Amino acid sequence: MPRRTNFSAVGHNQPRLDGADKVTGRSLFTDDVVLPGMLCGRALRCPLPRARILSIDTRRAEALPGVKAVVTAQDAAGIWLGINQPLLSADYLNHVGQEIAAVAATDEDIAREALKLIRVEYEPLPELNDIKAALAPDAPLLHAKAKGNIAWQQAEDHGDPDAVFAAAHHVRTDHYVTNPSHNCYAEFHVAVADYTRADKLTVWTPTQSALLFQKSLAAGFKLPDSGVRIMCLNSGGGFTGRTATRPHHFLAALLSRKSGRPVKIRATGDEEFIMCRAGGRVEYRFRSGVDRDGRLKVVDADLLFDTGAYVESQMIVILLTSSYLDALYPVEATRYRGRLVHTNNLPYYFHHGGGLAQFQFAFGQHVNSLAMDLGMDPVDFHLLNAVEKGHTTLRGTHYASCGLKECIRKTARQTGWKKKRRRKTPLKGIGIGIGAMASGAKGLFKHDTSAAFIKVGDDGKATLFVGLPDMGQSSHTAMAIIAAEVLGIAPTDITVVSGDTDLDPLDVGAFTQRGTFNTGNAVKNACLDARKQIAKTAAAELGVKPFQLHFSGGQITVKREPEQAMAFAKAVYNTLHSQEGRFVMGRGFYNSPIKSGSMAYSFGAQIAEVSVDADTGIVTVERVTAAHDVGRAINPRIVEGQIDGQIFSGMSQALFEECVMDDGQVLNPSRLDYKMPRAYEMPEVEHIIVETNDPHGPFGAKEVGEGPIVCTMQAIANAVADAIGEPVKEMPITPWRVLKILGRRKEVA
Amino acid sequence: MQLPPFEYLRPATLREGLDWLSEPGTETAVVAGGSDLLVNMKLGLVTPKRLVSIRDLPGMQDVKPTADGGLRIGAGCNLTDLLQSKAVTRRYPALADAIRAVGSQHVRNMGTLGGNLCLPTRCWYTNQSNEWRESRQPCFKTDGGLCHVIKSSARCHSLNSSDTAPALIALGATVTLVDRHGSRELAVADLYLDDGIDYTAMKPGEILTEIHLPPPTGVAAFIKVAQRNGLDYAAGTVAGWFGGATTRLVLGSITSRPVILHRSADIVAAGGLDTQTIDAAADAARADLGEVSNLFSPPGYKRRLARSLVRRVLQQLADLQGAAP
Amino acid sequence: MSRQIIKLTVNGDAHEIAVAPQQTLLEVLRDELGLSGTKRGCTSGACGVCTVQQEDGRAVLSCLALAVEWDGRAVTTIEGIAEPGQLHPVQTAFLEYGAVQCGFCTPGLIMTAKALLDTEPAPDEDAINEAMAGAICRCTGHIKVKIAIREAVKAALEGKQADAASN
Repeated sequence: MPRRTNFSAVGHNQPRLDGADKVTGRSLFTDDVVLPGMLCGRALRCPLPRARILSIDTRRAEALPGVKAVVTAQDAAGIWLGINQPLLSADYLNHVGQEIAAVAATDEDIAREALKLIRVEYEPLPELNDIKAALAPDAPLLHAKAKGNIAWQQAEDHGDPDAVFAAAHHVRTDHYVTNPSHNCYAEFHVAVADYTRADKLTVWTPTQSALLFQKSLAAGFKLPDSGVRIMCLNSGGGFTGRTATRPHHFLAALLSRKSGRPVKIRATGDEEFIMCRAGGRVEYRFRSGVDRDGRLKVVDADLLFDTGAYVESQMIVILLTSSYLDALYPVEATRYRGRLVHTNNLPYYFHHGGGLAQFQFAFGQHVNSLAMDLGMDPVDFHLLNAVEKGHTTLRGTHYASCGLKECIRKTARQTGWKKKRRRKTPLKGIGIGIGAMASGAKGLFKHDTSAAFIKVGDDGKATLFVGLPDMGQSSHTAMAIIAAEVLGIAPTDITVVSGDTDLDPLDVGAFTQRGTFNTGNAVKNACLDARKQIAKTAAAELGVKPFQLHFSGGQITVKREPEQAMAFAKAVYNTLHSQEGRFVMGRGFYNSPIKSGSMAYSFGAQIAEVSVDADTGIVTVERVTAAHDVGRAINPRIVEGQIDGQIFSGMSQALFEECVMDDGQVLNPSRLDYKMPRAYEMPEVEHIIVETNDPHGPFGAKEVGEGPIVCTMQAIANAVADAIGEPVKEMPITPWRVLKILGRRKEVA
Repeated sequence: MQLPPFEYLRPATLREGLDWLSEPGTETAVVAGGSDLLVNMKLGLVTPKRLVSIRDLPGMQDVKPTADGGLRIGAGCNLTDLLQSKAVTRRYPALADAIRAVGSQHVRNMGTLGGNLCLPTRCWYTNQSNEWRESRQPCFKTDGGLCHVIKSSARCHSLNSSDTAPALIALGATVTLVDRHGSRELAVADLYLDDGIDYTAMKPGEILTEIHLPPPTGVAAFIKVAQRNGLDYAAGTVAGWFGGATTRLVLGSITSRPVILHRSADIVAAGGLDTQTIDAAADAARADLGEVSNLFSPPGYKRRLARSLVRRVLQQLADLQGAAP
Repeated sequence: MSRQIIKLTVNGDAHEIAVAPQQTLLEVLRDELGLSGTKRGCTSGACGVCTVQQEDGRAVLSCLALAVEWDGRAVTTIEGIAEPGQLHPVQTAFLEYGAVQCGFCTPGLIMTAKALLDTEPAPDEDAINEAMAGAICRCTGHIKVKIAIREAVKAALEGKQADAASN
């Protein structure tokens, strides 16, 4: 849709700058990397959920012709992932699929054959299949330091929850469950490692953070950071599932070091579901109190996460969810308890939505139910309660811009909410979900700096260096647009270089929705620096002060005297050919000045309309109307694409996705049986972009990388509840879960 | 995933193919489209050392009307080709619906009707990689002594997932099975056995060469229910045929073989296609269904779905009957 | 197992390649011929990233096609659907309508969409859904992909009408 914008680049629909490469298949991904002498690596995986290695004999594997390296715990001594996961355990094994050894061979057939020749004697140990078993008083301890199998916990109050509950007019308690899932990006897990130089490890891999991968591998191999080079050609989707190194990155490196050749490891078939998986089962208990007028006063949340066999960065989800209790509503008090529980399931990782979208499936339904208890329209409840610009949360998070109520009003109006709710057609429902999302979340690291360099050629074209990966969200195009806006040239005049840590400026990466805000500000700063250098030359030639110059359309003009102008390219040329001979290079960085949380939050509301088939329990999402306050849409079509993709993912998780588990194994580890919707199932989507022009974001922009999905699952869940008369408290809302409720309600009726 | 090494043979005649198939010593399988077999080979579930290609053998691609007004379809006929054949779509629309339900268009562009009829049963404890299966004791299907689906059971509960089988049974189709000793005709209704392992009445060394449809009389319908509209195994399928005096109702993808619903069919035969009879017939489906496992979906869901499927297909038949001249 | 020499035409170029019976068309395209545009995904027919076009224009899954069965045949891959330096209308539409995000599924989707346009004169919404059901796009959620295909269909029909009018 055409948008009004006063900017020359920002706010215009710009097709991805690398689009031509992508549509022609020229874009290279990690599996396309073929190096001379490259070997095929494969891991030997534990078949049991919990066991101890009694003996391991790799001699026959090592002797197999074509095998160039075999590694076991001895080779991996001292390499740990996260807090308690050895790369290759010498003794205890805690999940089906855990890596025990790895081989590198000249082809996959030989590698597979070699694995069969490794003799391992296991002592099976009693396994803990779920949270309940793990928390039982007599449960075996999976990790000595995790008392009661609690890997991590956090409990905190803000304000005086007990007092507020005591004074509340109405209190409600609900329990919910969300199930294990997998990110299912199009590009399967893969890494190529070249550790043939003792002082330099190069790894090709998809990633959301080249920096974190670099640091992790450097720590593991006791190299300085610069001793590791991460090459990210392109990432085939991330969805919060590629933010940390996984065993295969280290194993490829180990095998390469030992064999003296590059090694590629790639997931085959069900291995994809083992090498990294998304969320585990989460159990939520919410208890909240409202006053007589329907104001939400206090929220008490208790969350149990099945964090699986090992813990690495999963505590992030506790950090994120604990700060969400009063993110949307200005409550007086909150109580939070979150516990990560070790079980013998796959290590919990992150799915699209980072744990918050899933949290909102539960909390958004809880709030919806509260509204219904009071006989209030949920939209009215949200409008009464929702946060506004200028609000500061109990933790001190400040909303310098906030379009939440505008989003709620616009979606409600656009969908004809009131009319549709009054109509009450059986088996048709309408539901709303609201959300907020940090644009980068400080507190995970002391500094979350993003940096950028730009070099400007005397042909008027520029090369922008960033360390922010583009995993499909078109972040590079967005950065080029920001750069173009500052320099007054076209985005297509800018080449974005990224994906090589030897070259890239520092950037924490593309997760917690940092890109637009953090890297965008860094890019803006770098371009302002470059512009300053060019302006000095142009000002001198035009006989004015630099602040009087305006950069636009490839020209540098004097404000209020537009006929006084010179071409941008000419100014750059003249800068280089000046007495000083200055080559124009700009540098900038951004590190948000706060200690925790974010400088800017996006807000949104989505309304889903569904119909339910009472015979089959199948839910069809007919329409989703999404309004999101993104501060400023740098590239509106891309913003729409983000909303689309997250509605897909939210709908997929809400209705389809579940890793069906049995004894620690995934029963449906394929793109066929692990269900995601496709073209047929997609609803009509309507986008409403709200721009509140955040004071801290580059050109007012905030994130859009996860704000939408936070709204989707709860909107669909609330719509289903409206359709069938009762909430489905377990995600995914499968046909059977729907039919059970319909059947019970029919019997009662 | 990669295929393990094997020998690939392309017989010039059916006889040559049959000879190779029956040769002792080397594990041999026939391949037509390959879209199911190759996946199972990649998983290591089946390990033929030799594949004999039968798709392009003489006669396997023919679609020929028969003297009695029926149709003979070569087992090697491509599924997309069949959907473009008026002989199929105009005269046997229920079969066309069933064919359209198979896989995705990509899969149909490669698959054959014979291949879909001969689909092995599947189960999420066996249709997995070798490494995956090593985590569990072998089950009946993998030369072990138990069933992971129903632990107390003495038989295999792998599920039949052919979409075309229920439709062909309902239409009263037969198949031609050929081996070195000769050929025989078998009703598709008798092609499947109620067991996850011994699921087919085909004998070792037999090749399914043709599907024979009787002349199209009465009205027929096919419904597939799956959470995804394309490329999804069914939660359940149903095929129905109403010939006035007789009815055939078949449920698929719910048990180890397509289930012929005799009780429901008798009710319709006696009472016709009015709403009350339809409801009664739907209620009776449960009785013919027998034991239902929790493979892929809970038994309660399967039973409820069975009832809904029968009701829906009978309603469709009633509508078609009403619309018939 | 001994290798067999097959004659395979890829994007109009004739090749003679020694293949083993267990090699799939996908492996031959990528590993023998170095054509990396066709992607390796699930390799079991579920995801569609390996989609190529056979002679009659239909989309097939190269991960489940045995190379030995392609002796004497012709296949089109993403590298061969437009003249060098140009884009096929489907490619242009994908670019223009924002149907490309990470790009991993893009070749498979484009080949699927092209196959649809090549084999169906005027595909409606249902035909588009049916064609695309065999391919997953995790990033776009298929929404802008469908818009791009609808626009490509429209453009193709308008082109045909223009041709017909001028004749």
